[in-house]
Amino acid sequence: MKKREIVRLFVLCSFCVSTALLVGCNKKGEEATTQESGTITLSAYHYLDQTDKTTAPNFQALVEAFNKKYPNIKINFEFGYGEAYHTKLQTLAASGQLPDMMVVYPGKRTAYITSEGHVQDLRPRFSGHESEFASIALKSQGPNGEMWEIPEDISVTSIMYTNNKLLKELGLTFPKTLDELIAQGETIRQAGLIPISMANKDAWPMQSCLASMLAERTGGMEWFDKAVKGDGAGFDDDVFVRALEIINFLHEKEMFSPGINQLAYMQGLDDFVNERAVYFIDGGWMVNNMVGELSDEQKEYMSLESFPDIPNQKGESGSASGVAGTGFGMNSDLSGEKAEAAWKWIWFYSGPEGSAIRQRFGRLPAYNLKAPDDVDPMIKKLINYVGSIPMGYVLDSVVGAEGIGIFNNDLQEMMFGLTTPKDVASKLEEWVNENDRSN
Amino acid sequence: MNQKKTKIISYWILAGPPLILFLSVILFPILFSLIISLSNWSGSGSLQWVGLKNYIEIIHDRIFFHGLRNNLLIVAISVLGQIPLGFVLAYILYRKIVQREKFFETMIFLPITISPVVIAILWNQIFSTSGLYTSIIRKISNNPRYVVSIFENQSLAIIPILFVILWMYTGMYMVMYLANLQKISPSILEAAEIDGASESQILLHIIFPFMQGVIMTTTIFAITGSLKSFDLIYAMTGGGPAHFTEVIAIYMYTNTFKYYKYGFGSAVSIIIVLLSVGLIFLLQILSRRLDRKYS
Repeated sequence: MKKREIVRLFVLCSFCVSTALLVGCNKKGEEATTQESGTITLSAYHYLDQTDKTTAPNFQALVEAFNKKYPNIKINFEFGYGEAYHTKLQTLAASGQLPDMMVVYPGKRTAYITSEGHVQDLRPRFSGHESEFASIALKSQGPNGEMWEIPEDISVTSIMYTNNKLLKELGLTFPKTLDELIAQGETIRQAGLIPISMANKDAWPMQSCLASMLAERTGGMEWFDKAVKGDGAGFDDDVFVRALEIINFLHEKEMFSPGINQLAYMQGLDDFVNERAVYFIDGGWMVNNMVGELSDEQKEYMSLESFPDIPNQKGESGSASGVAGTGFGMNSDLSGEKAEAAWKWIWFYSGPEGSAIRQRFGRLPAYNLKAPDDVDPMIKKLINYVGSIPMGYVLDSVVGAEGIGIFNNDLQEMMFGLTTPKDVASKLEEWVNENDRSN
Repeated sequence: MNQKKTKIISYWILAGPPLILFLSVILFPILFSLIISLSNWSGSGSLQWVGLKNYIEIIHDRIFFHGLRNNLLIVAISVLGQIPLGFVLAYILYRKIVQREKFFETMIFLPITISPVVIAILWNQIFSTSGLYTSIIRKISNNPRYVVSIFENQSLAIIPILFVILWMYTGMYMVMYLANLQKISPSILEAAEIDGASESQILLHIIFPFMQGVIMTTTIFAITGSLKSFDLIYAMTGGGPAHFTEVIAIYMYTNTFKYYKYGFGSAVSIIIVLLSVGLIFLLQILSRRLDRKYS
C-alpha cells in the first residue's frame, strides 16, 4: 500500500470513528421492543419530581400494583420534571425517539407532540367509559375532539385556602366581596401577618391561580368562550382589562406576600402552613402537600373557599378556574400487542385502580370515585369543594406557550408599574390573534 | 520516503483527528445553526425559509436589548473587574505582600470550585424574601414587609448578580496570573531591584510586558464567557422578575426550548457568536497597539 493510500485510509478511519462517536451508536438507547419469554417491554416518560415525598411514593405504589396485576408487562420509566421534562420530550420527538408512552397535557402545553401526530387519539379505546369520569375530564383535547390522554385528575387552579383560626382571632369572617377582603388587609398586616400568601417568582402562579379565575368572574363563560375563539370578543375587551386591574389593585393595597415576584413557589405554601398568612391562593394540587404538612388540628380549621365576589361580576359567584389533569398518552407508532399493553397501563393509571391509589395520597382523580371514609380531611374538603363550584378556563390551557409566557411576565411588569392592564391585555390579544385562534 | 512526505504524513496523523473533531463539534453546529436561523423551524415538522425575519424580529425586541445590556454589564464586570482584581490579587500573593499567601490563594480560588447552581442557591438563601439578610433587616427595622427592592428595579436588578459573578470568577483569573507570574525568573526581578527599580517600575516595565499575552488570553475568556452567561443567572433568578435579569443566553433558551422557536433561537445564538467575534477582534486591535507601544 502506498503512503498516500495509508494517509487516505487513516483520514477515512478518523472520520468514521469521530462520526460514530458523535452520532452515537444508539442501539443501546433504543428501547427493547421484542418479546422475551412472553414479557412485553414498554418505555415510558413520566412527569414526576422524584424528590417529592408525597407524589413519588404514591407513584411507586401504583407501579407495584400494576406489576402485580400484569407481571407480563414491563415498563421502563424515565422521569423528568418542570421545563426539563418538556425540553427532553420535544428533543425526543424531533429525533424520532419518542417513548411508547409519555405524559401529555389536555391543553396547549404539549401541543408540540400532539399537534404533530406523534400521539394516538385514545377515543376508540376510551369509548364506553365516558360516564365514569367527571365531565371536565371529557373536554375536547384536540381541534377535532381528539383525546390524547386520559386525565388522571382534575386540576382546580384557583382555591383560596383560609385559616379560620387566624380569622377568628382577628375578629374577622370570610369576606363576601372584594371590598370586604381589601378592608381586612389593614387588620391582618397590623397583626404582622400576610393577607394573601402567593409566590410568583416563576411568573405562572398569578396567571394560573388568580388571573384565569378573575377573567371568568369579570366576563363570564360566554365571553371567555368567545374570546378564546376570537368570535366577537377578545382579551383586549374591558372585562379582561378589569380582571387585570383587580390584580393591580390587590397588589397596590399590599394584600399579597411582600416581594411576591421574588418568592420561590413553595414559599407561598410555607407561609400558609406556618400560619404567617390568613389566605393562600393556589391550585388544588397543594392539598397533596398539605396532607403531610398540616397537623390534624390545623386540618380542622383550614378551609377551601372561592375568591369573593367582585364588583359588576358577570361570571358565577364562587367559581374557580380548572382544567382536566395530565395523563399518559400513547405513541402513534404503537400497534398490536404493544399498543394493547400500553392501553392496559393507561387505563390502570387513570382508571379506577390507579385513581384509588392516588386518592389515598391526596389527589382528586378525574375518575368518579366515592371517597373512602378514612380519607384525609383535607382531601375530603377538596372533593366537596370541587363538587360544589362552577369552573372556568385556565388561561395556560387555552393560550399557547409563547403567548402565556409573555403574558406571565407582563403581569409581573404590571405589578411593578412598568405597564398598564390595558397594554398587557392588548399584547395578549395581539399575540393570540396572530398565532393562536385555532381553538 | 523522503522528509517532505514524512512531514505530510505526520501532519495528518497529528492534525487529522482533531481537525475532524473540530469540524464536527464546532464548525458544523455553527453552520447548522446559521441555516436554521433563516427558517421558522419549531423543532419538529417541516422547515420553512423566512430569510432574515428572525434577525429583524430580534432587533425590534426590547427584551433582547435589555438582555444585551445585561450581558455587556457582565462583560464590563469581567474585563474591568475580574481581570484587574485577579491580577492585583495574584501580584500581591506573588510578591508576598501578605503573609499566609497559600491560605488566601485557597480562599479566593474556592468559589470557582463550587457548582454555579450551588452558588446560586447559596446567594438566594441570603437575599431572598425568606432569606438571611431579609430576615435580619426585618427584625432590625421592625418592618415585616421589607424586601430587597433592588431585585424589583428594572435597571438595578442585575447588580447582585454582577457581584456574585465578580466574587465567583476572580479566583480563576488570579490562579492563571499567579501561575504565569511564577514563570518570571527571580533573577530578573533581583537584578531590577539591585539596579534600584521601584515596585511600580518593576510592575510596568517587567511584569506587564511579560504578562501581556496572558492578559489578552484571559480577556478573551472573560468576553466569550460573559456573552454565554447562563447557568448561574438561570438558577438564581431565571432571568426574572419580568426579564429584569435576563441575558441573551436565557432569551435564546426561552425562545428555543420554552416557546419552540428553534429558528429564532438559532438566530440569537448566531448573534452571540458575532458579538463574541466582534469584541475579540476589537481586543486584538487594542492588543496590537499595545504590542507596538512596548516594542
